Amino acid sequence: MTPLKSSTWLETLFLGIGYLERYLVAGDSMTPTLSPGDEVAVDHRGTVVEGDIVVMRHPFKTDIVVIKRLDHIEDSGEFYLLSDNPVGSSDSRGFGAVPRKHFLGKAVARICND
Amino acid sequence: MFNEIKKRIVEMSPAKTAEAHCDGPCGVYDPASARIAAEAVHSMTKKIVALEVPSSDDPKAMAAYHNTLSRYISIKEEQAHIAKTELLVLWTDYFKPVHLEQFADLHDVFWNAAKLCSSVKVEVSVEHCEELMQAIEKIHNMFWQTKNRDVAFYLAG
Repeated sequence: MTPLKSSTWLETLFLGIGYLERYLVAGDSMTPTLSPGDEVAVDHRGTVVEGDIVVMRHPFKTDIVVIKRLDHIEDSGEFYLLSDNPVGSSDSRGFGAVPRKHFLGKAVARICND
Repeated sequence: MFNEIKKRIVEMSPAKTAEAHCDGPCGVYDPASARIAAEAVHSMTKKIVALEVPSSDDPKAMAAYHNTLSRYISIKEEQAHIAKTELLVLWTDYFKPVHLEQFADLHDVFWNAAKLCSSVKVEVSVEHCEELMQAIEKIHNMFWQTKNRDVAFYLAG
């Protein structure tokens, strides 16, 4: 499970000019990588690879945005998502693979103001 | 000072929320929520069937009748929808492919139960309410078997 790097001045600058988006993590299904209350910088451009942490719309409740790890991309192009903390979490094991059109971006850094 | 500047810059980007869970407290599921709602539908349906129509020349009694009937119908509609929602959450969020291997008829059971929720909402059918309770009992048994726990099915009413 790849940890997420802490943000640098570069991500800070990109957040400031709107190139990256800021997301607040709610819930503990991504622990230990991300804890509730953590903030991440999300890039909605570029490509994703297996192991990336992605932000996507829930397949059935499209008003909900979820943050999960991309386990793999299915032959159909759909994203199979898993939680880093698998205990009792809701992810593709329950709601299935998520269509690519629900993709909002990938987390590139955990925002750190230190 | 640099940290303060960084913080100010970061805050220029409005924070959105990304859920690392989907239905509230992670892992807290129980078919009891669907059972309670379905029991309320069953109870309201029986009350609607048993409600006596007053004489049409008694406007006060007629008004009371319509008021009571409307309340029963309103509760029945609302609770049938809640029962269906609770079942759908269990079906799509709790149950996983591994459970399908354990219960080959899992999809059929949930599909049937969800359809019965729609039936009892639209109709006034004690028979369909009883079928819904039986379907929820089956789901209750499946659910607790996945947790290797022996939890007896019971009714509040």
